[in-house]
Amino acid sequence: MKINRTAKIGIFLGILPALIIYTVFAILPIIQSFFYSLMEWDGFAEMKFIGLDNFVRLFNDPIFLNSVKNNIFVVIASIFGQVPIALIIAILLNRKLKGGRIFRTVGFLPVVLSTVVISVTWSLVYNSRYGLINELLRNIGLGFLAHNWLGDTKWAMMSVLIVIIWQFVGLYLIIFLAALQNIPQEVLEAAKIDGAPEWMITWKITIPMIWDTILVAVILCISGSLKTFDLIYNMTNGGPAHATEVMAIYMFNETFKNLNYGYGSAISVFIFLFSLILIMITRKLFGRNLT
Amino acid sequence: MKKLGLLLVSLFLISSLTACNSSEGSSEQASGDGDVIELTLWTDWTEDRPENTVYKKIIEKFNKEHEDIKVVLETIPHDQYETKLRTQAAGNQLPDMMRVWPGERTAVLVNGDALLPLNSIIDNWKDIIPETILDDYAIDGNYYAIPSNVSLTSLIFYNKELLQKVGFDEFPKTYDELKELITALNDAGITPISLGNKALWPLQSVYISTIADRFTGSDFLPNVLSGNGTFEDEHFIKALSVIDELNKLNAFNEDMNTIDEATARNEFIKGNAAMHFAGSWAIGPILDGIENIDNIGVAPIPTFKGGKGDPAKISGVAGGGIAVSNSLSEEEQEAVFEFLKFYYSEELYSNLVRANIIVPVEIEFDSNVPQIFQDANAFVKGGLAPVYDATLPAEITDIINNGLQSITLGEMTPEQLAKEMQNALESKR
Repeated sequence: MKINRTAKIGIFLGILPALIIYTVFAILPIIQSFFYSLMEWDGFAEMKFIGLDNFVRLFNDPIFLNSVKNNIFVVIASIFGQVPIALIIAILLNRKLKGGRIFRTVGFLPVVLSTVVISVTWSLVYNSRYGLINELLRNIGLGFLAHNWLGDTKWAMMSVLIVIIWQFVGLYLIIFLAALQNIPQEVLEAAKIDGAPEWMITWKITIPMIWDTILVAVILCISGSLKTFDLIYNMTNGGPAHATEVMAIYMFNETFKNLNYGYGSAISVFIFLFSLILIMITRKLFGRNLT
Repeated sequence: MKKLGLLLVSLFLISSLTACNSSEGSSEQASGDGDVIELTLWTDWTEDRPENTVYKKIIEKFNKEHEDIKVVLETIPHDQYETKLRTQAAGNQLPDMMRVWPGERTAVLVNGDALLPLNSIIDNWKDIIPETILDDYAIDGNYYAIPSNVSLTSLIFYNKELLQKVGFDEFPKTYDELKELITALNDAGITPISLGNKALWPLQSVYISTIADRFTGSDFLPNVLSGNGTFEDEHFIKALSVIDELNKLNAFNEDMNTIDEATARNEFIKGNAAMHFAGSWAIGPILDGIENIDNIGVAPIPTFKGGKGDPAKISGVAGGGIAVSNSLSEEEQEAVFEFLKFYYSEELYSNLVRANIIVPVEIEFDSNVPQIFQDANAFVKGGLAPVYDATLPAEITDIINNGLQSITLGEMTPEQLAKEMQNALESKR
């Protein structure tokens, strides 16, 4: 299609407002944070250029490295928890199922709930003294399995991960359902006529046909997990003893509580590069490029 | 079709132009030299608490009586307040006046040259507010705010009935007796101390501030910070060990690291625990929440064997005050001074006492002031010890907060924590 000159100007004028807003509020701050990451700055006094010292400190900071490790746990839990569970449920719900709509709504419910509500509710469920889980375990005689779920460094991360998986399964469920419904019926019918069993149809036809959607889901998972903040901040505040601290929480505390704007920016830059690299690796691994 | 697009674009442009215009107009009005000087004041008075009403009423009254000055309030929830203040300060966009807290939290603003010294009007309060409390807002000889209240951070609230159940008619005076009490309560199946340390600061601000002072004396903290001492001092380590020991005695509820301070306080109010350690901020909620107020007593932190500190002291610090931006015109400064003199008056302090707030000036009590408030107020006379998080740099506070929690989880020893604090302090120099 050929676009003439006046139309080009019209298009340009049309996207200009959005472009300006996006540049000022998204691109510029990212560039600024690259700049701050080379400074020693408490937010008020004169900035001091210190080169890459912030990054040297970053890689020698055991608390930060611990937060990277925890963050990787979140990424793994999201990719290998949220995506497969959502996919299985979506394939099941895609059949003519009685009450399928209700299941869909129920599954999507956690996504609509505010994270603060979720974290408060789950904190109560996990509470060691009167929480739902421990009460239940005690009442059925499995009291020895009751733990201080969020208060024990051994269990805290796992407990938080379960909530993260629970919270977002619904989102991917809906994405996968939409993709499944776009698969042309003819292909499936042809397979059935050829006598292919159900699991083979799923494995050889359905999944390859929604592969691009799965890839998008994985990328959303990675970028979402690396940004994860609100749920953990509200549930454990990164504790106990840094056991559930992820990069974004550490960045927030360093920047705004400890007033290390420079060091905090260095952490942000690290998060930025880290997610970029992870996403690039994923795209290589999954073989196909997005179109 | 193309015409419609063009029309939309031009409409958008025009509307954005007018938007710019109108905002410019309003800002001109505010900063212009009209008859009314408008002063913005940022506070954290969002909660519906009696003291907040007292503050707001005084400002209302001021606005009514002064036609040429108008104080405009902007309230921000407490938890976000300081983050917002610091972020705005970093962007050089502070309001004319703002609520601040003493120590390091004011010092960062002063170091950034954001605040105006109030030395020219400080004499106004020199006779009514004790020097030591005014000094909480003094940095390098300059005063930056006037405190409206005193915040005590280490009070022990206790449930008399539960204590009597295990044979204690009086609250223990010494630490050894306190340990006996804890053991007796545990044997009787009563949670001894209700603690909510999820936000990390209670063990430090409430417990260590006074416990450490009992061991080290009040000069210790300023000395260490100026390099004339070390956190690895045996007395300080002993203070940290008290937390370890209390934890090993099962003095706290087991979910202490997963519930917040307010939840822990409610457990105490409900009678599910015999004691609750908290600051003067808890007096109001406890008075409001409890049915039989005579059943609740308040006591200071007990004495410790071999401590170097004065056992009458209690950790406390001047409460919030109003600081003034450094970028005001002379005319605006005059207006601010007039406002401050009006605001920090006898009326404010006597109204605050009625709202169960401990104030830095001497006020006569009515007979209907609750006993625990009178008792808590009396502890101030023993002198104030420094509060750790009001004195330490933010990074060191972060380390001790996390470290104390690690101690309760058995992941760190008091010696290790002291060492980590000292290392961080030295690397900061």
